[in-house]
Formats: sequence, structure tokens, C-alpha cells
Amino acid sequence: MRFRASIENVPTFFKIIQSIEKLQKKCIIKFTETNMHIICNSDANEGGIQVWSQIKVESLFVGYRIQSNAANEITMAITSEALLGALKSASSSATSAYETEEVIMKLAKKNGQAVLTFEINGLTRVGRKVRVSHDVKIEVMRPADVARLSEPLCPEPDLHILLPPLQKLRTIVDRLRPMSDILAIRANNNGCLRLSINTESVKVDTEWKDCTNPKTQNIPEDPEDAPDPDQLFTVLVSLRSFLKFLNSHVVSTTTIACICQNHCMILYVYIGDVADAGGVLTFYIPAIIDDEF
Amino acid sequence: MSQPIEDEELPPVLKASVHDVRYFAALLRGVNFINRATITVTERGLTITVEEARTLLGTAFIFSDVFDEYCYRSENPPVVASQDSQDSEIVDNTAFEVPLNTLIECLNIFGTAGSTSANVTTSKFKKWKKAGDDSDNDDDGGRGRSAGGRGIDSYFGGGSEKRTGMRLTYAGAGYPLTLLLAEDATGPTTTCEITTFDPEPHLELDFDNSKMVLKIILKSSWLRDALSELDPSFDKLTFIGNPPPDAEATTSRQKQRPRDNEKPMLRIQAAGTFGSTEMDYPNDRDVLETFECTRSVRFSYRFAHISRALRALQSSTKTSLRIDEEGLLSLQFLMPSPKPKGAGGTSTDAFIEFRCLALDDEF
Repeated sequence: MRFRASIENVPTFFKIIQSIEKLQKKCIIKFTETNMHIICNSDANEGGIQVWSQIKVESLFVGYRIQSNAANEITMAITSEALLGALKSASSSATSAYETEEVIMKLAKKNGQAVLTFEINGLTRVGRKVRVSHDVKIEVMRPADVARLSEPLCPEPDLHILLPPLQKLRTIVDRLRPMSDILAIRANNNGCLRLSINTESVKVDTEWKDCTNPKTQNIPEDPEDAPDPDQLFTVLVSLRSFLKFLNSHVVSTTTIACICQNHCMILYVYIGDVADAGGVLTFYIPAIIDDEF
Repeated sequence: MSQPIEDEELPPVLKASVHDVRYFAALLRGVNFINRATITVTERGLTITVEEARTLLGTAFIFSDVFDEYCYRSENPPVVASQDSQDSEIVDNTAFEVPLNTLIECLNIFGTAGSTSANVTTSKFKKWKKAGDDSDNDDDGGRGRSAGGRGIDSYFGGGSEKRTGMRLTYAGAGYPLTLLLAEDATGPTTTCEITTFDPEPHLELDFDNSKMVLKIILKSSWLRDALSELDPSFDKLTFIGNPPPDAEATTSRQKQRPRDNEKPMLRIQAAGTFGSTEMDYPNDRDVLETFECTRSVRFSYRFAHISRALRALQSSTKTSLRIDEEGLLSLQFLMPSPKPKGAGGTSTDAFIEFRCLALDDEF
């Protein structure tokens, strides 16, 4: 089993892990020949939020080499906080003591423990060379366990809509947090998106009217079958789960939300341009079934 | 005298709108120490009253000219007798209770209702901001901070920053308080319906000016600096006032013993489990703009109650402190309006008042 790559785009990698880290202590990373998959699927997650992401190798790494007996795939469980720490010292910032020149990530075994080693080569302001090395403990997963990982099955979404900037959404949802545990998300095919809460003491309803509905492939054969564009589709989700998803605002450029009424909400967070996306983080937030809402 | 027949055709009891909610939100935050607040609507404006432990009463007086539009329709039957008209002006109001925290959170839904202090204090006064106060604005980092440095912009209504505009309606007893909020025409709009409750009677603490024994007017920063120095572990705060000595006597005595003034004019004493502290104010017009004291006064209050006033103090410019012979304390804070004085003409600054009963153990 061999694995070695040089991280070219440290800031993006850092931001991706940053948005994952708030979600789950431990995440699963699967490296294949072409992609890096980050998976958070713990049942322990509050509200049952899951992340299945897919990031193209070339958007983060150069000199990427991978070899294994399991079709050249390596899957590991890793502590997201430790990984974030390693990436933090790899990223150059105004406050860090050195300028990062190269970051090598490789699989190693130290004292019988599998680790992911980050070797950071940097240059101080006076031109001296610095080497910082982080070993992050990992557990390599057996192919049988990997095969058991499966993405949640969802019906064909009722609706696709482009979300407004996540930063703005987060401000609003943050204000709602002390007032309610459940958030209702409604949208139609006419660019309307509504976030609402409804409790005994307050009803708050925020509406955007100029969102975009991306075109989907499956165009109904008969135009008369086409659903009413003004029909609203609703999904109730845990407000805290939705806030956790909104942590991905640090990395997002475009986000498409899909509503599967009474089932779940799927959110595609694109890293980089949609046309030339370096990857996509997919969040699944299960619906809360509440008759009283 | 044509009365509308159908209920739906009646205009709402209260309709008000404002293009920038920051001043309104700042006034509400000044009394936001108990969640349940009574809002009393009259022709002249709104009063927001909160009460704690049957001892402390906080009231924000928000006059109608704080709003761009303000419309009150009385629900009460019109008064027939003309002699009572003066009375009825006082009585004619509509009151309801709302969860104050929720109202403030709703106003700040876009994160542009701002934190209190910096937005309403004029640049003449020192900015005083605790780290915790900014928490509302942490998310939009730079925006909140630059709001602090605005100063002159707020006077010209300029600046590219977004403000939250509000339209508020209250249809009458049993109806929710409805807020319509938006930043600009292209952005999202938020509708909030806040459940209202029948008002509970409040503590009545009337301040009788004829029984007043101490009256001080001072710049709010002098009191604010003193109170914010005090550690929260203190549990008792005592105001001590003594009549100013005769003018000649003062000058001669101060020449002899300037430091050793045994009877301070105004002393604030705080005591707690871990110690006590004393602060004296000098007999100086620059500090105490007005000082009237008829006899030696010494009254104690629960520090936790007095410190409730800090938030209002932070955004106010002037404070009036009065104590009557039974120890009832009245603190009035002038909250400067961000509106330009000249253009509005008769713009009245809103104010916040705290009334607090003295502790019994000392007299």
C-alpha cells in the first residue's frame, strides 16, 4: 500500500476540512486514483446529517501516487481535528513564522501505527529552511468494511434551487436558533425560497424571490404534465443540522438545494466554479416529520 | 362619525415604520434584561416596561418621531364627556406583552440592526464597548466593526452599508405583533408574527419630586465607567450623598485639606463577599452638572439590579440620578437620536428609565 502526494492547494483543502470538522469528530477519507472522497455518515450525528463528497485529485494535489491491493483505493478513518491542525500549520498566513514551499502528504507506519504524515517545507523571513512534520493517526479500513459504506438512497428530488450566498443564510438562521429547533424550507420552481419557523411564541418567515432554478435533465414529455411552477415543496429539518451545513460557507461558491418532500434535503456545495468544479460536497439532511407544523 | 362596520376594515391599532431599525433596536436592548415586556401604545409613542423581582422597573420611552410613520387607532370607546378629555389622554392606551428577546432577534435577522453603543453615541464621547457586546455582529465581522466608526455618516444618512427597514403592525388584542423586515428591494423579506399576551399589572413605583432628597445630572460616561469597574461578585451598591458645603467654606477647607474630605458629595460604595470598594465624585461642575441634595443620604441597592442599567448606559449621553426620602432610585438615561436635529425639527430624544427600591437592611 503506497500513497504519496504533494498538496498544492492548501487553503481549499483546509476550508473543506474546516467545514467537515464542525460536523463530526472522525471522518472517513477514501482516496482513489482520480478522486478524494470525504464521508461523514455517523449515526451519532445530531439530526442524522451526512456528507458524501467527491473532490478531483488534480484540484488539490500534484505528484499524486496511489497503490493498493483494493483496486488502488485506500480508505481511512481520521480525526478531523488533527487533520485540520496539520493543514493549519501547512497554510501560510500573515501570522505564521514561515512561508510554506511544499507540503507532502504520505502514508507511513510508525511504531506499528498507520499514520498520515504531513511534511511541510518552509522558508523563514530571513531565508532559513524549516521542516515541520505532523503525523496524524489513521485507521486503514478493510475493503469489506468499505464495501458496506453506502450513500443514502433518495427519491428523485421534487425541486432544485440555487441558494443565496450561504454567509447571508447563516446570519438569518443563526438568529432563528434560539427560537426554534425545527426549520421549514419551502421552495418552488419559480425562484421562490422561504425559510420559516413556527412556534408558540413566534412565526418567522424569510422569503427570497429571485433565486434560480437550475435546469434538470428530465424534462417531462408532455407539457401538460409539467407541475405548477408556483407549487411550494416543503421539507422540515433540524435547525442545528442546517446550521452545521451552513458552516460550509467558507468553501462554497455555488450551492444547489434539492427538496425531496417529506424525505430529505440534499445540498450540493460546489468547490470552485460549477462549470469547472474541482469537487462537490453533498450534504444529506433527513426530514423531520411533524404533522403539527 | 361614520364607524366602519366590519372588523376587517378597521385600520390596525398600531402601524409604524422606520427605514433603519438600529435606534429602535438599541432602545429595546436597553431594557432587555427580562424576557417578558409590556408594550404600551399611545398617541405619543411606545413605552416598553420590564420588571424584575418586584423591585426593579425598566422603561424605555420611544416617542412617535423615532419612526418614519406612526399611526395609533384607539380600541377604547371614545370618551363622551368633554371634561374628562384630559384624563382620557392619559388613560387612552393599548397594552400587550411580548417576548422582548424574540422581538430583538427578529429585528436583527439580517445582522444589520447593529450593536447598541457605537451607533448612537456621537463621536464626542468615548466609545466604550465590551468584547461581549459585539457578539451579535461576529458573523459579519467587518460590517459590524465598521458600523462603530461611522460617526458622521449616520448624520447624512449616507454610506453604502445595508440597513434593516421595518414595518410594524398590531391589529389589536388577540392578534400577533407583525413585523415586515427587509434590507433592500432586491434582498429577502422577512415576516415575523410575534404572539402577544394580555398585559399583567406592573409594580407601581411613582417618583414624587416633592420627596426628592438627591438629584444629580451627569454625563453618562462618568457613571458608566464607575459601574463597569465593579466586579459582578459585589452584591450591594450604596449611594451616599451629602449636601455641598457652603461655597466659602469649601474653598477655604479645600485649600487646607484638599484630600481629606470626610463628607463626600457623592460616593458609590460597593460591597461583596471578597471585599469592598469606594468611588468618590469630585465637586466639580464638569463632572456633576447638577447636584441638589437636601440632607445626608445613604441608600443601598442590589448590585445585580443596578448593573442591569449598564447596557442602556452604554448608549446614552446624559444621566439623571434621583433618590427620594424612602430610597426609591430613579435613573434616567438620555438616548441620543441619530436623526439630524435641524431637519426633523421637533425630534425628541428617547430615554430609558430604571426605578429601583432600596434594600431594607440599612437606613
